[in-house]
Amino acid sequence: MTFMRAYQDMVFSTAARLMGNDAGAEDIAQEVFLRAYEHFSHLRSSPAAGGWLKTVATNLTLNHLTRYRKRWRLFSELKQHEGDEPSAAAEFEWEVPDTLLADLDADQRRQLIDGALRQLPQHQRVALVLYHFEELSYQDIADKLHVSLAKVKTDIRRGRGALLPLLAAGGLGRG
Amino acid sequence: MKVERLLEEWVRGLPLRRAPATLELRVCRELQRRAARPWWFRGFSQWPAGARISFVAVCGAIIGLTFGDGAWTMLVRTLSDAAAAPLSWTHTTVAVIESVCEVAALLMRVIPATWIYGGLTAGAVLYAALFGLSAAAYRALYLQPSLAGDRQ
Repeated sequence: MTFMRAYQDMVFSTAARLMGNDAGAEDIAQEVFLRAYEHFSHLRSSPAAGGWLKTVATNLTLNHLTRYRKRWRLFSELKQHEGDEPSAAAEFEWEVPDTLLADLDADQRRQLIDGALRQLPQHQRVALVLYHFEELSYQDIADKLHVSLAKVKTDIRRGRGALLPLLAAGGLGRG
Repeated sequence: MKVERLLEEWVRGLPLRRAPATLELRVCRELQRRAARPWWFRGFSQWPAGARISFVAVCGAIIGLTFGDGAWTMLVRTLSDAAAAPLSWTHTTVAVIESVCEVAALLMRVIPATWIYGGLTAGAVLYAALFGLSAAAYRALYLQPSLAGDRQ
């Protein structure tokens, strides 16, 4: 249990940012630790345990999202395109003042960023989180998501464009 | 400042979210539940040694009988002879099924082909209409606009 307490926040945070909802993230985190239990003899003393858990959490979440997307695609594909429209307008690189969110402490900033990420369409959120939080390259993200490099770049650019007004509104509201 | 650089600054050193208090309990319960399962519900590597050896031996025997020189045929014949007496009701069932098939074939010959094609087309149209209605009802009544991003 000490092992789990040491890593549960990291595993849950990874899954929650990608998933965009806490209930699903808790299911993923549970599955990650059940798998870790099967390899506990190796992981217990391994310095790479954190990396292993993060990778499993990321892969399980992406698998879950892919299955979910396939299941609902039939009825909701049109809805997706409607959801894309606001962010499609924000394709250019924004210039923003350095002082934005400067008044917030780390915890408030985390809440604000997580809240804004949840409001993004799934494909933009996943690409942004993999790029900025998991620090994967564009090519690695394209390989992981089985999409083209161009789509990853577009999703990240549009995601940033859509995220900024949400953060600015939240930051100004709080500051 | 560019958004990319700003996001990198914001994300750097961001504290982790606290996992729900229920997570630890859920994992413990699931581990206990899995530990309480009988051995045949677990993975092969977790079976008792005796069960694993027996399973491999049975599989080997089946493979041997399958590729052996007529041994499998002999075994099946012996078994079917032994089972023939209590399974005599199967003859009656087979006869009933054969009769039903003959009646169906007769009807197919009597009914004009256009009627059959018309019926099949009507069925397909009705199926498509019901499918479209249920999809429209789902989108109108169930799918919430706020979840559009999650339901891709």
